[in-house]
Amino acid sequence: MTEKAYEVAHLDELDHFPVDEEGLVWRPVRRRLGIRAFGTNAYTAEKEGDRVVEEHFERDGHEELYLVAKGRATFTLGEEEIDASAGTLVYATPGTKRGAVAVEPETTIVAFGAKPGVPHEISGWEGIFVALGYLKKGEEEKGRQAMAVAIAERPNDWQGQYNAACFESLTGNKEAAMAHLQRAIELDPKAREFAQKDTDFDWLRDDPEFPA
Amino acid sequence: MSGTAKITDLAVQVSSGPRWAMVRTHFGIGAFGVNAYVADEPGVAIIGEHDELGTSGTLHEELYFVASGHATFTVNGDEIDAPAGTFVFVRDPAAKRGAIATEAGTAVVIAGGRPGEAFTPSAWERSAPALRYFATQDYDKAIEEFERLRADAPDDPGLLYNLACAESLAGRSADAVGHLSQAVKLDPDFRQLAEKDSDFDPIRTMPEFASAVAGEPDTGSSGA
Repeated sequence: MTEKAYEVAHLDELDHFPVDEEGLVWRPVRRRLGIRAFGTNAYTAEKEGDRVVEEHFERDGHEELYLVAKGRATFTLGEEEIDASAGTLVYATPGTKRGAVAVEPETTIVAFGAKPGVPHEISGWEGIFVALGYLKKGEEEKGRQAMAVAIAERPNDWQGQYNAACFESLTGNKEAAMAHLQRAIELDPKAREFAQKDTDFDWLRDDPEFPA
Repeated sequence: MSGTAKITDLAVQVSSGPRWAMVRTHFGIGAFGVNAYVADEPGVAIIGEHDELGTSGTLHEELYFVASGHATFTVNGDEIDAPAGTFVFVRDPAAKRGAIATEAGTAVVIAGGRPGEAFTPSAWERSAPALRYFATQDYDKAIEEFERLRADAPDDPGLLYNLACAESLAGRSADAVGHLSQAVKLDPDFRQLAEKDSDFDPIRTMPEFASAVAGEPDTGSSGA
C-alpha cells in the first residue's frame, strides 16, 4: 500500500485518553498522523485546575517544546512559575522538572519532543497509555487488546508486561496479573521494586504467589 | 537552557512576507527542527511553496500546526482549509506544499526531521542569527554576523546569498554582486530567487548584477 503524501487532523478530532486522576487527557498526534522523525502529542484539561502537563523530568534525554494551543496554563519550569496564555512556547531541557495546570477550561497543549544526536525512536509509553486510557474510559476489552498490541510491538521491554499486570490486577484477573508481573520481572528485575510499592497490586500483595 | 517565549514576540520581519519566529535557534533545540511564521495580514504566503528535495531540501517530514488564525494549505495541488487547531503533516519530501493566511494574526508552527536519522540543523537555517538584524535594518551588524558564520561554512550558498542581500541593502554594491555571483554558481536555484528579491533593488540596474545572476565569471568585485 502506498502511503499518502500528507495527513490532516484538527485538535477537535483527536482521540481522548485519560491519563491520571488529576484530569490530564492525552490526545495522540504522532500516532494519528504517522509521524516518525519526532514525537508530537496534545494534552487537554477539561476544567480549570486540571493537570495539562504531567510533572516530570525527561529521563530518556528528550528535549521538549510545549505550545499553549488553546486556553491558558500555569507552567512550572524548574523553580520558576510561568503564566502561559495561548501562543506561548515553553522549552524544557531533559533535566528540568516541568509540569502545567490549566487556568481555563479546555486548555490544550501541544508537545514536540526528541532526543538530540540519535534517530528518533517511538516512545513505548504511547501504546501503554492507549491501553490504560481505554480502561479508564470503561472500555476494558479494547484496552486489553491495545495492551497486547503494545507488548507485541516491544516484546523485550519490561514496561509492557508490567502495565499489563497492573491492567489485569485492576480488573480483578489474578492469574493473568501474576503471569504478566512474573514475565516483567524476568525481563528486568527492577519491575519487582516497582510492584512492591504499586497500589495497583494492593489486593494481591499478600498472596503467596505474588512474585514481588 | 529551558525558557519561554510568545510566538508573536519572537517573530521578526526579515523580508517581505510573514514574520519568522526562529524557535529552534532561540531555544537552542538540537533534536528536531522547529520554527513559526506569523502573518499580520490576510493574503500573506505564510508558508512559501516548496518541497523537501533538491539542493535546499532536507528530506524532512514536516508537521504544520495552525496555532492561531486561519490558513489555506495546498499540498500536491489539494487545497486544505486549516482553521486554528489544524495539523497538516506532510510525510512525502517530494510533495509541493505551501499556505496562505486568510486571517490577520495567523501563526503556523512547523516541526521537522528526517525519519531514521539524528537531527542536524538545515543549511538554510544557518543564516538565522544574522537575519535577525534585517528586522532592525542593521545591515552592517548582519554582515558581521554572516562573516562570522561563514568561518564554519565558507561555501554555503544560502549564507552567501543572504550576505549579498545584506550588502546590497547596506550599499556595499561590489561586495553584494561578488557574493551573489558565488551563491548562484554554487546553487543555480538562487538565480530565480535573486531576480524577484527586493533586497537587490539597490543593485538591480548594475550590469554586474545581470552577470552575477547569469552565473557569468568575473563580476569584478572583491568576492571572498
